[in-house]
Amino acid sequence: MARFIVRRLLVAIPVLFGLSVILFLFLRLLPGGGPAEAILGQHATPQLVAQITATEGLDKPLYVQYLNYVGRLLHGDFGASFIDGREVAATFLIKFPATVELTIGALIFAVGLGIPLGRLAARHPNSWIDGIVTVISLFGISIPVFVLGYTLAFIFGVELHWLPTFGQLDPRLPINPVTHFAIIDAILAGHWYVIDAVAHLILPSIALGTIPLAVFTRITRASVIEVSNEDYVRTARAKGLTDRRVNDRHIMRNAWLPVTTVIGLETGALLAGAVLTETVFSWNGVGSWVVSSIQNHDYIVVQSLILIFATIFLTVNLIVDVGYAFLNPRIRYS
Amino acid sequence: MRKKLGSLLVIAVFAAAACSSSATPSPAPTAPPPTSAVTSQATAVATPASTAVEGGNMVYALNGDMVLADPSLVSDGNSLFVEAQVVQGLLGLQPGTISTVIPVLAAALPTVSADGLTYTFTLRTGINFQDGTPFNADAVVYNYNRWQNYPPGDLQTNAYYYGAVFGGFGTASNVASVTAPDEQTVVITLKTPQSNFELASTLAVFGIQSPTALKAGNADTTPISSNKYAQGELPQGQDMVGTGPFIFKEWVPGDHITIVKNPNYWDAANAALLNQVTFKPIGDSTATLQALQSNGVDAAFSISPLDVKTAQSSGLTIIDRGSSCNQLNLDMNQSVGGKATIYANKNVRLAVSEAVNKQSYVDAFYSGLGKVPTGFMPPATTGFKAETLPAYSVSQAKADLAASSVTGSALNIDLYYPSNVVRPYMPDPKGIATAIANDLTAIGFTVNLKTEDWHGGYVSDATSGKFALYLFGWTCDWAGADNFLYTAWFGWSGGKPNPQFGWNNATANQDMLQALQATTPDAANALWGQVQDLLAQDLPVVPIVNSQPPGAYTSKVHGYVGASNGIEYLNTVWLSQ
Repeated sequence: MARFIVRRLLVAIPVLFGLSVILFLFLRLLPGGGPAEAILGQHATPQLVAQITATEGLDKPLYVQYLNYVGRLLHGDFGASFIDGREVAATFLIKFPATVELTIGALIFAVGLGIPLGRLAARHPNSWIDGIVTVISLFGISIPVFVLGYTLAFIFGVELHWLPTFGQLDPRLPINPVTHFAIIDAILAGHWYVIDAVAHLILPSIALGTIPLAVFTRITRASVIEVSNEDYVRTARAKGLTDRRVNDRHIMRNAWLPVTTVIGLETGALLAGAVLTETVFSWNGVGSWVVSSIQNHDYIVVQSLILIFATIFLTVNLIVDVGYAFLNPRIRYS
Repeated sequence: MRKKLGSLLVIAVFAAAACSSSATPSPAPTAPPPTSAVTSQATAVATPASTAVEGGNMVYALNGDMVLADPSLVSDGNSLFVEAQVVQGLLGLQPGTISTVIPVLAAALPTVSADGLTYTFTLRTGINFQDGTPFNADAVVYNYNRWQNYPPGDLQTNAYYYGAVFGGFGTASNVASVTAPDEQTVVITLKTPQSNFELASTLAVFGIQSPTALKAGNADTTPISSNKYAQGELPQGQDMVGTGPFIFKEWVPGDHITIVKNPNYWDAANAALLNQVTFKPIGDSTATLQALQSNGVDAAFSISPLDVKTAQSSGLTIIDRGSSCNQLNLDMNQSVGGKATIYANKNVRLAVSEAVNKQSYVDAFYSGLGKVPTGFMPPATTGFKAETLPAYSVSQAKADLAASSVTGSALNIDLYYPSNVVRPYMPDPKGIATAIANDLTAIGFTVNLKTEDWHGGYVSDATSGKFALYLFGWTCDWAGADNFLYTAWFGWSGGKPNPQFGWNNATANQDMLQALQATTPDAANALWGQVQDLLAQDLPVVPIVNSQPPGAYTSKVHGYVGASNGIEYLNTVWLSQ
């Protein structure tokens, strides 16, 4: 197992290196000039653009810029934004907890609802129950996130006034941002402010979790149906085991494998930034940060963030692969 | 199943309703506002003070985050809106106006020497900074010298406005000296007369900060990434320390900025009524509207003009921003790539000017918050002169086009508009461009609509002269003729006309240069008037609209004084319970 993990980690190095080169070149091929134009907007004059370009070292040859960037990266320095001069790492530590929180919320929604729905559909294949679950899945996959987000906000925020429509906490509450995890900060602040934090999490979690919900439902359904037709399940039933025991001990334990894989992949994708959801709900996470950085040609931020995302994605995948071994002792990596 | 389908239909209807209120990005910030002006002279309080309720925490939606916590180092509207509540300058603007200069930390408007080179300010007495240190002439001198001596690098590039107003830093600056003959007097001496000096000095970037806090916070540290003062990371009372009615408390980047009431504000009659204001950056216009409708925020600096009717029907009040401080033009470049375009022909420019039905655009796209221009900049701008612009007339436009002798394939033209952007003067670029294209088609042009991403090349391509016919506008930095006519549009650079227009009129450029250095306002305005006459003769652009960018607030908010240049002070605002 240790060798497997080490090998996977070594493979990650050329992947990240290749990604960094591609990103570096791609970002500089974006039309519309560089960050100087983004900083100055309509105030940009050729003289000022040249001045900023020189100040930021963007007039140096590309390979020099790249080597400087990698050199800093190897020292743990992700650089600073061209726009506000703020260290990428410092801003990341403020924004990433919000994305983690949203990811967890979306996963709770998607896993908590998707797997029971998938099991339900699998137990009644081709029935009206299965049909309803299929419709829910198709709805979840088809509806654009921003449409769902605005709709949820409109119904539950604007019309019913049940839930907040933006942000992680009511700005009027005296909650100090200690950890930048809104729920933890709210707990630390006391006064049951945690209820407000949870309320803020509900709508974005549903909006973000709908597509994973549909995916988990379909995968669970397919996996359970497939395993249910295996010989060992028939044998178990023939032995006279109860339905519940067959389901829990023989079907679900084996059906979990593909489901786990998909959950892992979705988790990695969600952590890499829920761009639309964060924009619709003004969620101060990394997704909307990436978008604004791309628009501003803030190369350093985009490069560093995508490398961080790639690392997270690779790590989550590794954890999923390792998790296989624990879920199914028959699987061993060598 | 039927119930489920019904639910789906309901959701679809709601989705359509939600989307119809525009999913486009909210407008980019308006041009940076000048400094705070909450003085005893500034009494533009919308509601009688006797009914005002003190206290409360207002949540205010901005359309983006603050960039840096040092006003001298920013040039964006969001930063300056926040910072103008905290930091004040010697001069400011009368709240609710865009060009009425009033003394703020100065006791009166400065006396100006006959040669226009020396400005003598007498300061108010008894004012302390929010850290308790005294405001005096030495503090003013310290601040002006600090700006002037910013070293080359990121401090200079961030201090855009100082460089733009005074022509550079250090010895390149037009400021010869700033001295303090006594504790209450500051003398600013210029190298050459500068007619925009007073109006430009109202910018919040010229807000005076506590020298003690600046020194203790190492505010001149470079690179800015390690400048804790500029990053707003120092504790309350040590960062962004001014003399304003609010004190900077906290900034969590991307999440919120908090300012609290200054209990020791020097002008008690105009002290803040609110205990606290929390600024919340919301970058999406639909999200902003929903936040207002759900009472999540109390006020929003901007909403989409397309959402104005929805907002009003939801019980929200649209901010009355009075006189416009922006203008959208249809620019006609007379020379692209060194070759004359059809717009070099005066009759073509005249035909285009007569073909566009500006009033119909104002009616269709601005929800009543715009006016057809009567000149080449907004009417409330200092130095404005009304001109007789060509009236809408399809028949006259056709006649002028015929007189131009431009025919055949030359009438097949491109019209550029920006995509992925909403500007205060351009809420629906594609819609406006389409309407203009239809009007031009009606007189005989064949119009190809073309677009580029605003952030991805439109601005640089337009300003470098790659487009012949295109939409472009400007929101004032300060409401002076120089800011529109010279800085934004027609000033020459390197002895050549601005390639954005190819308008080769040396007389106009000479007039502008003389106006910039005029020693009296009357002399400057006369020259700016001549420039506007030349523009009216030559018609290098078609002025399309002067708009009032809409913002909104809920029924709880009172005492809000709006201004279309974004200079709005929250000390007069109060919340009903």
